Amino acid sequence: MSASDIRVAASRWVDDHGECLYRYALVRVRKPEIAEDLVQETFLAAVRGYEKFGRRSSERSWLVGILKNKIVDHFRKLGRETSFTDMEFLSDEFSEKFVSVGFWNHDLGPHEWKPEPDEVMHRAEFWQVMRDCLSKLPEKIRAVFTMREMDCVSSKAICAVLSITDSNLWVMLHRARMALRECLEVNWFDTPAGGTV
Amino acid sequence: MPDEPYNPSPIGNPSVLARRNWWQTMLVKFIGKHTPKCREMVRILSQSMDEPMPPMMRIKKRLHFLICCWCQRYEEQLRYMRHTARHFPEHADEASDAPFSAEARERIKQKLAESAR
Repeated sequence: MSASDIRVAASRWVDDHGECLYRYALVRVRKPEIAEDLVQETFLAAVRGYEKFGRRSSERSWLVGILKNKIVDHFRKLGRETSFTDMEFLSDEFSEKFVSVGFWNHDLGPHEWKPEPDEVMHRAEFWQVMRDCLSKLPEKIRAVFTMREMDCVSSKAICAVLSITDSNLWVMLHRARMALRECLEVNWFDTPAGGTV
Repeated sequence: MPDEPYNPSPIGNPSVLARRNWWQTMLVKFIGKHTPKCREMVRILSQSMDEPMPPMMRIKKRLHFLICCWCQRYEEQLRYMRHTARHFPEHADEASDAPFSAEARERIKQKLAESAR
């Protein structure tokens, strides 16, 4: 591919995928100018690495993969400057879910979730609810959770990137999952929009 | 025994084992006593998403699920969240309407053109 072909392709990538990448970056880093920078770095890396693309995956997932790495790099830098341990959040917020001996309060235990993930993923409203629920998590808890579950970084790697201990990571992930589960259930699975696909 | 903590509400309890008769009650109490309580179980289930669960705990989990459909759902939902969250980035354009400004778009195209030269 010649330089001019790549230039044309790159310009098309920005039109086709720029918005998606930008919105994802924005969910992760919150600041528009940082999100724009990350998107720019992603496209620059894509141009440099175009030979390696090889069309094994869709263009979008290839670009998203590059962006995920850029986001991890961003958090690595942040991890050097700030402490990512957050043990305060939710200390007792879900205690009403359990009776005193530690079993679920049956009236407040998890409901059944329907339909299957593959159906839900076609619904824009589901992604909106997920974004809203993520945005309710405290910043550090969200950073850890999204790195684990969206960027698919291993827990060992997250500990290294953010300089936190294993046990702190597990506590933070547990709290994130507890809160996100509850939020998705209330705002999606228990609503007519979520239940009636 | 109205103050018995294990599965106090057999009516409408959809778990495989609930206290529907004498021997189920015995089994439920036994399993309840020898497996982690739900509050602890959900923590263990979350951790098992990040590192393998020890074999003995796997067995306890299976037993616990017999008397507790809620923990079983919890585990399914952790997987559900993982499965969907992984696909979130590719659907991020549907998840929000934050505007990707025309200036940013042009600036990035400009940079790309320079870099491909």
